[in-house]
Amino acid sequence: MRIRALCVLFFTLILFSNAFPEDIETRIKTLEEITRQQSEKMSEHRKFIDELKGTLGTPDSKVPAPAGSGASAPGTSKVTGLFGGSAFTNPNISLVVNTFFYSSSRKQDEVDKRTIPGFTNLAQDGRTKGFNFESAELFIFAPVDPYFNLHANIPVTEEGAELEEAYFITTSLPAGFQVKGGKFKGGFGRINGQHPHAWDFVDVPLNYRAFMGPEGIGGEKGVQLTYLPPIPFYLQLGIEVFQGQNELLFDPDGKSPYGFTAFAKTSFDVGENSTLLFGPSFLTGKAKITTVADDTFFSGTSDLYGFELVYKWKPSRSRSFLFQSEYLYRRQSGDLTDLLSESANPLKRAQDGAYFQALYQWERWRFGARYDVLDLFKKDFELAGVPQDFGKQPWRATGALEFNPTEFSRLRLQYNRDDSARNGQVNNELFFQVLLGIGAHAAHAF
Amino acid sequence: MRKIACLTFLLICAATPAFAMIKGVATLQWIGSIAREIGKDKIEITALVKPNQDPHMIEAKPSMILAVRKADILFYNGLDLEIGYLPVLIESSRNPKIQPGRPGNFDCSHFVTVLEKPVSVDRSMGDVHPLGNPHYHYSVKNILKISEGMADALSKLDPANAGFYKANLAAFQEKANKKQAQWRAVSLKGKRFIACHKYFEYLANDYGFRIVAYVEPKPGIPPSAGYLEKLIETIRQTKPDGILTTPYFARREEDFLSRKTGIKVIVVPHDVGTTAVAKDWFSLMDQVLSSLE
Repeated sequence: MRIRALCVLFFTLILFSNAFPEDIETRIKTLEEITRQQSEKMSEHRKFIDELKGTLGTPDSKVPAPAGSGASAPGTSKVTGLFGGSAFTNPNISLVVNTFFYSSSRKQDEVDKRTIPGFTNLAQDGRTKGFNFESAELFIFAPVDPYFNLHANIPVTEEGAELEEAYFITTSLPAGFQVKGGKFKGGFGRINGQHPHAWDFVDVPLNYRAFMGPEGIGGEKGVQLTYLPPIPFYLQLGIEVFQGQNELLFDPDGKSPYGFTAFAKTSFDVGENSTLLFGPSFLTGKAKITTVADDTFFSGTSDLYGFELVYKWKPSRSRSFLFQSEYLYRRQSGDLTDLLSESANPLKRAQDGAYFQALYQWERWRFGARYDVLDLFKKDFELAGVPQDFGKQPWRATGALEFNPTEFSRLRLQYNRDDSARNGQVNNELFFQVLLGIGAHAAHAF
Repeated sequence: MRKIACLTFLLICAATPAFAMIKGVATLQWIGSIAREIGKDKIEITALVKPNQDPHMIEAKPSMILAVRKADILFYNGLDLEIGYLPVLIESSRNPKIQPGRPGNFDCSHFVTVLEKPVSVDRSMGDVHPLGNPHYHYSVKNILKISEGMADALSKLDPANAGFYKANLAAFQEKANKKQAQWRAVSLKGKRFIACHKYFEYLANDYGFRIVAYVEPKPGIPPSAGYLEKLIETIRQTKPDGILTTPYFARREEDFLSRKTGIKVIVVPHDVGTTAVAKDWFSLMDQVLSSLE
């Protein structure tokens, strides 16, 4: 009975609707209008809910003012990290894995014993023919408070974890001053401050290896003061005091402080797309080292002078060019003790070296070439007043091809023709390196 | 007595900013353009990212550090767009005024309603911005809110001229509202486009067109040949109204797609200064909308 009544009603409605189509149209329009308004309201509510969600769990954000209410000052309305808010919040953590395949024209034990006589008795370690694991570098960084930022870099190798860097850096000193302290890579030269994954080649240039070691000076305990004067061009002035534990320059035991460095870097933009950066660096300190030659101990002083030059050209996102060179000059004088015969003789050495490298990036590809040479202008090595000759002039030539799928990954094929052993034995080396980074997006310094 | 003297001295030190002119640094050109509208001749703006550069791929150049070093206020896009260089600039600037949390640190995105905030994100999806789509500068609604924020921030730095900034804000908003009426008159509703990158979402949202596919398979990842083949198929089926790209993209893929399908490539300026016409944010928007028409 009821169903029949409904049917009648339904058909009448249909009839009416056919009879008065305009009426129906207006009604539909009103309905549409209502639904539209409601959906607008809902989306507004959703936005509001999202905003509330955003402000929840951020106890230090003050008034949860809706985004854009003109009354709220920037910086108080939402969480602000080091970058003004990041999804990877406090602290920022990232991990960079550095692994490579190695092949050499020399026998493995020759590779293991390959030094640069007259410069260093340290071989490049971690070069096994086949698969090598360099490190997984852990980076942690965040602001401590409005006055300090904290950075740490912990490379984990197969031998375990080490603390390469852990330092604070001030953000609120007046007049362009900044203090860095803790354990950190110093401001001497250019590659010194870079982490291995940011190097333009698998390895450091020969002059770095000869005068500072296979990773440059490395993290040193100390304090740095830098100053950026408000002048029309970029000029950074810096001084550092280190405990001084570098194996080639200072005292690895850290018992004879201190090492001192001073540096200046200046930079100009050349036209729209190019930048030039250059400057001198100086380092001095007491040395108590065993790296002059095997079974020796050297006690004396080290002075290292450097000059860096960088030119970058970047006309578009798909192309760029980099030229970079550093000249290093090292002077050491003191006593060299032969540990076997226990006889000591005065040692004076003043040597230099340079590298020149160029890299060209095209889309996701990058081609690199490098030439390193030691004993460039100066090759004095006097033991007990007698000049020593160690043989051939050490040099090396390098070519590299990189493919960078994204900012977070890099594949690199590198060839070295290394004639630095001074005995004429050339080492033809081939690397295939894979670098991958995850976690917080670290910013790129120039 | 000495305490009072010390205190007054400190107060004087703290209050000295008797501004001749506010030194402002903007990361992007359009941000500089809005700041100039509000600050007029009381602000001197340096914009860091040159118009021909990809805003995603900037390096912290020493000259930028120097500019930030001297700034009274730093304006930036936020939403991690500048994450590749701004943290270095802020830290290396040695400038307390522009550190996060200070009045001189102005994150434009704090004033914006963000689109496409992902619920969960990882980098297998490409270079997705975890805080949402950062290219909000085509949205009038957002720009109006940012301009209000800027007027507030400038008034705080330079209270003596608060009235001046307020008047400039009013003039700017009036012009923007008037312009918006013109832009709304451009009929884009229902149009469909292919886009180089997730650049035009705010425009699509405001003007009712759709982005049906992207030339990049994932943000920041260039397309493979296979992907382009598929895309050609999609384009042939859907017949979009154009392939949108920006001046800094190389256009190789876009031109290829256009040749294969006969759909035209439309170069949409992504920032002030990228074309001769786009001299400020208004002329940028004029050109953007007329190019889409």
